[in-house]
Amino acid sequence: MSIVTVQLGQCGNQIGFEVFDALFSDSHCPQGLCSKRENEAYQASCKERFFSEEENGVPIARAVLVDMEPKVINQTLSKAAHSGRWKYDQHSCFCQKQGSGNNWAYGYSVHGPRHKESIMDLIQKEVEKCDSLSGFFIIMSMAGGTGSGLGAFVTQNLQDQYSNSLKMNQIIWPYGTGEVIVQNYNSILTLSHLYRSSDALLVHENDAIHKICAKLMNIKQISFRDINQVLAHQLGSVFQPTYSGEGSWHYRRNPLGDLMENLVPHPEFKMLGVGNIPQMSENSLAYSTFTWAGLLKRLRQMLISNAKMEEGIDWQVRPPLSGLPTLSKMSTNKEFHFNTSIANLVILRGKDVHSADVGAFKDPALYTSWLEPVHAFSVWKTQRAFSKYEKSAALVSNSQFLVKPLDVTVGKAWNMFASKAYIHQYTKFGIEEEDFLDSFTLLEQVIASYCNL
Amino acid sequence: MGRRRRCRVGPEDATRALPEAIAALSRTLPVGPSPEIFRRAKFDCPEAAPALWRLLFRVLSPGPADGASASLSLEAQARWVKSALHSQGYPSRALAQLPDNGSQGSRQLLLALAWLLARGPLLEQLLAQGRVRLGDEMPVCECEALANPGPPAPGVEEVSGVDVRHLQWLMGKLRFRWRNLMASQQEQCALLGQIHLYTRGCHSNRSLGHLSVTETELLRDPEGGRQLLQRLESENARLEAALEWRRRQLVFWRWMDTVLGACPPEATFLPRIHEPGARALEPVARELHALREQLRGAVEARRAAGAAGAGDRRPEWSAARRALRQAVGQDLAALQRAWERGGGLTQPHGPHRLVRMEAGAPRGPGLRAPEVIEALRTQEAHLEAVLRRLQGQCRRELARLARALPGLIWIPPPGR
Repeated sequence: MSIVTVQLGQCGNQIGFEVFDALFSDSHCPQGLCSKRENEAYQASCKERFFSEEENGVPIARAVLVDMEPKVINQTLSKAAHSGRWKYDQHSCFCQKQGSGNNWAYGYSVHGPRHKESIMDLIQKEVEKCDSLSGFFIIMSMAGGTGSGLGAFVTQNLQDQYSNSLKMNQIIWPYGTGEVIVQNYNSILTLSHLYRSSDALLVHENDAIHKICAKLMNIKQISFRDINQVLAHQLGSVFQPTYSGEGSWHYRRNPLGDLMENLVPHPEFKMLGVGNIPQMSENSLAYSTFTWAGLLKRLRQMLISNAKMEEGIDWQVRPPLSGLPTLSKMSTNKEFHFNTSIANLVILRGKDVHSADVGAFKDPALYTSWLEPVHAFSVWKTQRAFSKYEKSAALVSNSQFLVKPLDVTVGKAWNMFASKAYIHQYTKFGIEEEDFLDSFTLLEQVIASYCNL
Repeated sequence: MGRRRRCRVGPEDATRALPEAIAALSRTLPVGPSPEIFRRAKFDCPEAAPALWRLLFRVLSPGPADGASASLSLEAQARWVKSALHSQGYPSRALAQLPDNGSQGSRQLLLALAWLLARGPLLEQLLAQGRVRLGDEMPVCECEALANPGPPAPGVEEVSGVDVRHLQWLMGKLRFRWRNLMASQQEQCALLGQIHLYTRGCHSNRSLGHLSVTETELLRDPEGGRQLLQRLESENARLEAALEWRRRQLVFWRWMDTVLGACPPEATFLPRIHEPGARALEPVARELHALREQLRGAVEARRAAGAAGAGDRRPEWSAARRALRQAVGQDLAALQRAWERGGGLTQPHGPHRLVRMEAGAPRGPGLRAPEVIEALRTQEAHLEAVLRRLQGQCRRELARLARALPGLIWIPPPGR
């Protein structure tokens, strides 16, 4: 089944390009560590999901590119075409001549309705190219102007028009010390709108990825391209094909559906985080060997201590002892920053993957009391190595990892709102104070739900 | 096959006739036990019980046997058989009283099997269920699935005090599975369409015109062809056994009379109310009778009042009644229409073979897709209207409850 990607704004388009590039490069990587037949099946599965075929054989990404100014889209199109390996469809692009000045309300209330028909038409054309549609993958920033406001509008329309299809939004959490003054307003408006119309929110924090680039990849001058490539690597390790079950040798047909069924069935808990191990520069890769036991142990500690990378993990954090009543469990959590999970999905790729033991992830202490590990934990595997890593493991987690950043953002936005700072920029274009209050209510509810695990 | 039975049945024939009849029955049934089991069951031997529990489970489950049902423990199967027989109206208490571990009661089970056989076209239904299907089939109605909910999933337990979040989780999971199922079905349809398109003109039967998936696999893979042949041969064997059973069954029924006779007198088939239960029901029966009298009195009074006083009101009153009756009649007719399959559809229920036709080709027997789609759309619209009405009722009720509690802030959930 196929996934249609919608790339919104500068952020969405740049990341989208890196994602398709990572997926393509991996599927054509010669060091797959598996048989030729296996490799072909893997390639075919990846291709069906993300690319469509053209007569001269160059795969075309199943994507719609949207931005309010032409510069980034043109760059993206030419970068893809230039590589000669895959490209975008020239006609699946929508752009205008003017930007929207980081104004969420303008993106949502003006750009959205004005260009709704054209954008939805483009998406419809992409959907018709698919034999069968698994769902939509929408890449956007949370706090920018075009990406966030327009993205919220487009997601809402996808919900109306394709109510039975799945929708996953990949959102970029801005730097804590961001440049846009109203980024907190934009963030809460985006999040609350997406929470209503999307099925899952896959959140990547700029701060976290920046650290990965600095510490693990040893990049001195970190550009957005480096950040986007790390992000694309993480997404690729989640979405590339995996076997459909224990002992099966066929690739899963609907990864988006299976992922959502396992991780986000509860309507109040939709926020997902991705972690990946190992992550390092290509030079170091040649000198490293890994064991599954070592990788999984570090991944588990990353989960419970809410670490975003495998260096500097806090090994002091331990799961609470079972048998303690719930009240003390909560206070212990607060003291030692233990990250309680609702559900986890571990994806293993590479050599001897069937011997990897994931028992440590089935510990009930990791999870909330109302969901047992048998329901909360799933594992996907494939022998085929990902992107030259002999062994790699990814973790998609629905847990408390985002509660603190969310709480901080909501707090800051509320402080600004209390003094009505900059509100006129929004009310000018139809976002009233009521809408802000609704957003605050929804997000406070989400924070409370996650805290009460 | 052409031989007639002799009118005089010799003693050797007589002793052979019963085991042969039972053997024919057993070959027709899925997981049929041996004639020896039947004989032991007449004498209520415990070792015959498990095989008969399993047979009844298999016979009563709707749909083909799958791994999940087969892996249920004997105890779970026994419990389910009891509840299934009860819901079908089986009148014996003795069977309901058998222990769940499946170790006893072979005679009762034999009687239950005979009851099922005598009651309805059981063997025909089982044979139809297990048919080898060569075409790509699709159901056009939900009747069978709705009528027989089937055995419980293994591993379902009674748990007290469940967190509501767990239930919400399960509900959400169910919704996602439904959406994924729909996506899979769309994918299957797209692929079927492609196969039917590519194999145009390959079928020897002109009215079909193209191959089905099974037939295509038959051509591509000789091993699959051999397996299909085996399945067809075993189905033939079952059909022949069914015909043989039809010829011989009289002997079986006479024997079943003796089985019934062998039952002890307590295991009677008349439904009897438990003594303590009867005592408890007495006051209830009295109250019911009193209420009935009251109602009768009230109705008479109103009728009298209505007939007596309302001379001048009568025209509008009866006009109002007529209008009401008309509205109700229209509602019922609409309901009926929405549930019947769109007027012109009189085809039988159950799965139909999919055949792709060229535009303008002469119409063959069977349903046309647009008609079925139309009928389903009507049903869907009707169900959606009912759903919206019920949702509105729920919302109003919740709002009413929220208003009743002072100081309560009502926050609706996000999204739909």
